[in-house]
Amino acid sequence: MSASSDTPLPSPPLLSVADLAVSFDNGAGPRIQAVAGVSLTIHPQQTLAVVGESGCGKSVTAMTTMQLIPCPPGRVDRGTILFGGRDLLSLSEREMLKIRGGEIAMIFQEPMTSLNPVYSIGDQILEAIFLHQKVSPDEAVETALKALDEVGIYQPIESRLKRELVALRTDVDAGKASIDAVRDLERTLPERIRGLKMQLLSDYPHRYSGGMRQRVMIAMALACQPTLLLADEPTTALDVTIQAQILELLSDLQRRRGMGIMLITHNLGVVAENADVACVMYAGRVVEYATVEQLFDRPMHPYTRGLFRSIPGVRDSRTRLTTVEDVVDNPAEFRLLPRCQDGIVPWWPFLPQEHRPQLAAGREPYALYEIEPNRWVGVWRTPFIEAHPSRRADLSTLRSKSVVGSA
Amino acid sequence: MATYLIRRLLLMIPTVLGITLMVFLIVALAPGGIGAGLAVQGGQMSDTSKVAQMQAYLEDRYGLNDPVVVQYGRWIARVCPVRFGMTSLESPSGERIPVPRELPEPPMQWAFAAPAAFEVTFTPQSGDALVEEFRALQRDAEGRRRTYVGSVRAFKDALADHVRSLGEPWTSRLDPKGGADPQKFRDLPLDSSPTTSPAQTDAATQGMTATWAKVNAAAEQMHLAWSLAEEARQRATIAFKARPFPAAGIEVIRDVVSIDSPDFGVAFSRNRPVWDLIKTALPVTMLINLIAFPIIYLVAVPTGVLASVRRGGAADVASGFFFLLLYSVPVVLAGVFAIGFLANNQYLGWFPVSGLHDSAEATMTFLPYTDESGAWHRGWLLDTLWHLALPVLCLVYGGFAVLSKQTRASMLDNFSADYVRTARAKGVSRKDIVISHVLRNSLLPLITMFVGIFPAMLGGSVVVERIFTIPGMGSLVIEAINLRDRELILANTFMISSVSLLALLMADILYALCDPRVAYE
Repeated sequence: MSASSDTPLPSPPLLSVADLAVSFDNGAGPRIQAVAGVSLTIHPQQTLAVVGESGCGKSVTAMTTMQLIPCPPGRVDRGTILFGGRDLLSLSEREMLKIRGGEIAMIFQEPMTSLNPVYSIGDQILEAIFLHQKVSPDEAVETALKALDEVGIYQPIESRLKRELVALRTDVDAGKASIDAVRDLERTLPERIRGLKMQLLSDYPHRYSGGMRQRVMIAMALACQPTLLLADEPTTALDVTIQAQILELLSDLQRRRGMGIMLITHNLGVVAENADVACVMYAGRVVEYATVEQLFDRPMHPYTRGLFRSIPGVRDSRTRLTTVEDVVDNPAEFRLLPRCQDGIVPWWPFLPQEHRPQLAAGREPYALYEIEPNRWVGVWRTPFIEAHPSRRADLSTLRSKSVVGSA
Repeated sequence: MATYLIRRLLLMIPTVLGITLMVFLIVALAPGGIGAGLAVQGGQMSDTSKVAQMQAYLEDRYGLNDPVVVQYGRWIARVCPVRFGMTSLESPSGERIPVPRELPEPPMQWAFAAPAAFEVTFTPQSGDALVEEFRALQRDAEGRRRTYVGSVRAFKDALADHVRSLGEPWTSRLDPKGGADPQKFRDLPLDSSPTTSPAQTDAATQGMTATWAKVNAAAEQMHLAWSLAEEARQRATIAFKARPFPAAGIEVIRDVVSIDSPDFGVAFSRNRPVWDLIKTALPVTMLINLIAFPIIYLVAVPTGVLASVRRGGAADVASGFFFLLLYSVPVVLAGVFAIGFLANNQYLGWFPVSGLHDSAEATMTFLPYTDESGAWHRGWLLDTLWHLALPVLCLVYGGFAVLSKQTRASMLDNFSADYVRTARAKGVSRKDIVISHVLRNSLLPLITMFVGIFPAMLGGSVVVERIFTIPGMGSLVIEAINLRDRELILANTFMISSVSLLALLMADILYALCDPRVAYE
């Protein structure tokens, strides 16, 4: 794991979401509140992990940031999304077109279906480049090649050709081949590599594996040098080795370009290894917001505790795993929160009425509260909380990550 | 790809053969059999035996008295581009002249002394005289053959009369067509009537019944006719071998193997080569459909796209409602209404009632013009379009619904695809997403649809062509079926099935070109 040393980053944040609420039309039934007052910030070079179970509003938050929620049935009820000093929610579609892909890029969970099957990889990357950069076709091709290079798509080709060269040299040493062949190969190697690269550009997505397609997606997202990357479960559909490669690739690119990343995942291992700040969500609300170290050291909200305890361990494989319900349905767990005696009770929608604290009248019962310096927990909005307002959730910390074998 | 194409093309051969065999068998199984369309109407002829002889001649001429399998084999041999045996000749008019057919020997030679076989030798003329001579010999051979076949029939009828006069057990030897079946008398003395002793041929009429005398007379006639027909045939064959006309197609080995275009034979019902009939009907149907299909596609596809883009909007609901309304109107009704209201002089009278051209077609110029007196002449082109307006209208209106709904569904499928989300996240505008991403992918199923409709172009739309009396493929097919014209039905089936198979292959190739995921290795 990494040694933790917090380095403060200069304000202002890259992206600042405040009190965002998004609901969806549900036909005859009441509207579904997918996101109900989410606040979070992302600073340059920072990775914010958004964790939570399916349906907790992670993806909707990211999609709303990109304005990709279809309206109707979706609707932004309230809130602001500040990016570069502008509220994205107030921008016109035309202005959003420039931001999408150009300043904020997004990659998705399903690499197998996220690329258009009838266009070549080159076409799809070039489309993004032409949309956001005023370049000549040749320059665009160079940019695309560079982007694909950066995500390591060509590594197998290059190493194969280099292996060929080595094998040929061995043959020469053994007297089986002439030195001219080696010289020929050495001379033509860059050309051949470039030829193969150009050929890859005209390849269609179906010829690529999931991991390779996700690399193409990343190359496409990053070709226009965005400052913020929304990665919506980028590794969920991939196996563990490819997952590690992709995440390593992302943090490598982040270091080089200094972009902020919103990493949406439900894999706590991914959070532990890659994120600076974690934001745990439940039922459309943020229940805990802290640096990764603090969160993993001492999870505070009962839901987070339940989440951590439900990770299977090697030792206790024979016993029944703790479920989230075991924790959050236990009123005793709610008294474990610091300053519980002040009337601060973690917010939990299913907390029985008799255990609920007395609430402040007139407002919604939920608030994100800074319970300790730099630790926010979702709590019931009691009169005490009303009387002692806290800072908005904003952590500019970066942890210094150990650099693991990058290219 | 080449291997795939060759394999597909080779696979088509058994498929087409299977289809034609099926159709052939169905025609054969139909009441009356293959020759039902040829049944001579007896009312015009006073003598029923003449009718029977005529019938016998026609059956002989078209080979209908052979088993179905033999007939089918003969048809295949004609259609197959590789021909074996004596090469056919091609007359200047393009007619295929096969070698004169072998003459069947008279039946029951064991009972009636057969005429001795003989060889005719003569030297045919040469040059233009040979053509004349061959034509004359051909006519002669055909006429004598006709007489001979008729006499065989007369002989059988006489035999049948004789058998009937004898009563049981002879009546079981009559064949269903009314004549006697000569094969069934092989084991029996023919004259064995209960009252007489076996006849001696030289015993003249003594002890002979009247019916038996008739049989003998018929046999004598038959043998005479055979000798004449056989002589004429041999002469015609000798003249044929002298090649009055050039060989048809390409001769690989003279009189053994040749390659020729398919010969679909002569339509029974019209006594014209089938290919001539198809050649006149096909362009008409093609013309109508080549106008109708672009209209359907140009209207339905954009409407479907619009409906999917504004899903649930006014355009979607209105187009869906309107197209389904049109779809529900039967063509028969629409055609009658179109004629009754749009073409009828009592109402609007804007369009012609029927046909493809004006009666003054032959005198028309191609393009419209205005003559000196200022009168406007519409010309052939506009006249044809004017005549085609109503048939095309009837053909297209029902096609909008299916295609536009298909386009809409296909578009909506693709709208929710992940790659559309990717494209939006890239910053592609909605318009570009619709056109270059969604539509591009939605067109793939439409390729299959188009090619599925393609064979219908050949089949013609029977109803529309009937209502507007347009001499297209649809009319031809329905007429062929009504008249049980085997050659015409088979040729149509062959054409339509071949074109369907080729269209399917074309669809697969187009699909491979449009969808990079599909490849035939």
